[in-house]
Amino acid sequence: MQRTFPLSGVRVADFSWVGAGPFLTKPLADHGADVVKVESRQRRDPIRSMAPFRDGERGPDRSGYFANRNTSKRSLCLDLKDPRGRDLALRLISTSDVVVNNFSPGTMDRLGLGYDAAREVRPGVVYLEMPMIGRAGPHHGWRGYGLTIAAAGGLLGLTGYPDRPPVGTGTNFPDHVPNPLHGAVAVLAALRKRRRTGQGEYIELAQLESTANVIGPALVAAAAGDAPVRDGNRDDLAAPHGVYPCAGDDSWCAIAVVTDDQWSGLCRVLWDERWDEPALAGADGRRRNSGRLDELVAGRTRSWVADDLARALTDAGVPASEVLHADALMLDAQLRARGHWEVLDHPVMGPSVYDAIPYRLSATPGALRSPAPLLGADSEAVCVDLLGLDAAEYRQLEEEGVVG
Amino acid sequence: MASIDFSAPLDGVVVVDASTGLGSYCGRLLADLGAQVHRVGSDRFASPHRASFMNAGKIAASHDCDVIGLLAGAHLLVTDEGPAELTDRGLSPNAVAAAHPALVHVAISPFGMDGPYADRPATDLTLLAAGGLLALAGDPDRAPVRAWGEQTSVIAGTHAAVAALIALDVLEVSGVGQFVDVSVQEAVAHSLENAAQYLDLEGVTRRRVGAGPREAGTGLFTCRDGFVYLVGGLGGSPLAWDQIVAWLDDAGVANARELADGRWEDSTWRRSTEAVELFREQFESFADSRTKRDLVGQGQRRGISIAPVATPEDLLRDPQLLERSFFRTVDMDGHDVLLPGSPYRFRYSDVQPRAGSTPAAGRSLPCSAPSR
Repeated sequence: MQRTFPLSGVRVADFSWVGAGPFLTKPLADHGADVVKVESRQRRDPIRSMAPFRDGERGPDRSGYFANRNTSKRSLCLDLKDPRGRDLALRLISTSDVVVNNFSPGTMDRLGLGYDAAREVRPGVVYLEMPMIGRAGPHHGWRGYGLTIAAAGGLLGLTGYPDRPPVGTGTNFPDHVPNPLHGAVAVLAALRKRRRTGQGEYIELAQLESTANVIGPALVAAAAGDAPVRDGNRDDLAAPHGVYPCAGDDSWCAIAVVTDDQWSGLCRVLWDERWDEPALAGADGRRRNSGRLDELVAGRTRSWVADDLARALTDAGVPASEVLHADALMLDAQLRARGHWEVLDHPVMGPSVYDAIPYRLSATPGALRSPAPLLGADSEAVCVDLLGLDAAEYRQLEEEGVVG
Repeated sequence: MASIDFSAPLDGVVVVDASTGLGSYCGRLLADLGAQVHRVGSDRFASPHRASFMNAGKIAASHDCDVIGLLAGAHLLVTDEGPAELTDRGLSPNAVAAAHPALVHVAISPFGMDGPYADRPATDLTLLAAGGLLALAGDPDRAPVRAWGEQTSVIAGTHAAVAALIALDVLEVSGVGQFVDVSVQEAVAHSLENAAQYLDLEGVTRRRVGAGPREAGTGLFTCRDGFVYLVGGLGGSPLAWDQIVAWLDDAGVANARELADGRWEDSTWRRSTEAVELFREQFESFADSRTKRDLVGQGQRRGISIAPVATPEDLLRDPQLLERSFFRTVDMDGHDVLLPGSPYRFRYSDVQPRAGSTPAAGRSLPCSAPSR
């Protein structure tokens, strides 16, 4: 039986690519929206060429980086530089509720697919662009990548050890969290207003502005003359608070002691008589002596297996977790119980691991409805069944490289 | 459009926000979008600045209000504790659904509402560890290091807001309320870039590698007043390399022309320690006497991807952000507070950070029930 999904009936013309855009349209697709991903064979999504690849072998339909961001979508290949390709793109927009792109400013306008063109063929369209630092402003033409947005947005500079240059999150964090998900929130809010008023919307998500919000409290603090600095794993509230070495190679346990009860719990599990001093009895004293405390705790954790320690501490009421690398994460009892890792059978990559949706709606759940689409897999179905080309027209355009 | 309706996208939506910290960003996003967000209970923020940021646009309710009672007029309830704690507060999903079937209960929790760890105590740091993001961050010769600013709240809050708006649509269209189970651990695991797929497809377990990929011309470089981030190559291929060489050469950097040698096109060479260090020496000898702003301005004009490693103070003075009137002043508990603007700009709707009150201010308030 065909399931119905909460966003069934919503169509998205998705011109976005690489990191941020595809993670914006993925939750829409996983909850039932018909997301038509527009690429071309001449200019395919660069992330199709980014590692990892099935068995290490490169190929446009072999990238796991691409696959995990593009579940439940359809792939349409169009040459947007050809007027007939552009016309098909406009026809797609005319039947879509949402248009998304993350090209540099002005690109969609030059292709004749900008907001004005879109709302002419589809009044009430919700149109979202995500320029790097904004369509206007003195720096609007600046170029960059996920890593440079983390730098310019302030997260990189605040993240790292106090005595070394910053290190950041080790990922292109803005591409994975704030920029796509803020974008999805904006689109869904605009669709709600459209349902009630019939009115469409133009949304500009400047990636710099979106990313600056992840350090929002630091900006509030700086404006009040109280700017934070890079401070490693230290915490304003908790001590001990850190990542402590455990038995084995590169094995660690994260521990956070916020309350006196948690301190008692830590003492029960890791007691060392050197901890028995008045200076460490209260939270203020522990915070003041956090450097020395870290060394004392590390002296005790080294003989523990990280996962055993995390279990013992959490049983004693202390927040703790092994620092899980991907190999341990795949086997994590909680993630497995929750069914977080899903295996989808991709036509080229075979059975492959995908992240499940990290939330479940009890009455109208989403699902990874299909693995990532092969490049151009749905070109014919979209052009013929949705956009109304007849089969002969489609063949002709395919031969000329306009679609396919 | 004959006459434009500039109302907020979530006009008329009533939210009861019973979060304690981890879930606070979800309600903040909904408040910017125009929902009426009633804040009940207290939160655990050490910093008053974090409390201001997270509570902007929210209305503090009295601490002793009966949450279940307040829900009569609400569309959404946001909580952020595990099943045992929620049950203690009388806010278990079953209790909420029994009292208010036509309500969306967005339950953000550390590990999700079921499974063996559902009631494990957790904080930002331990959830970054449990979700796999902490393992990717830091220098290899040191312990992993957490992202600044309790990012689990952003990770959970953004996913939860997406889920909340999908469920709100169902509620408004079909009258069906429901329970939304948001696991922070899963949300963190969802943000590992490609680490799970690296293991699955290539058998490689990613580990922390410092500030970024190891390639000549790419990464952090020291300058007069801090650091810049330059992208002079990606995946072993040079980017805007000729422009970088010309820039250094024009500035009179000795041996800059050495960088024009053919070997700088070669990915093996570009990724060698020798190449990385050679480039660093040349670039930093040039950058040493120049500011972030000068370097970024000049480099960008030459078509080079270079960004400042901005401090919070830099952002407050950033010409681009100032020109776009990004920062807003709102009233929080009777004081002016400067906040960054919303993450997005709506051309036809009222979306912005709004005046609000923190739970600290709610202590003295009477209980008043919101209404739809």
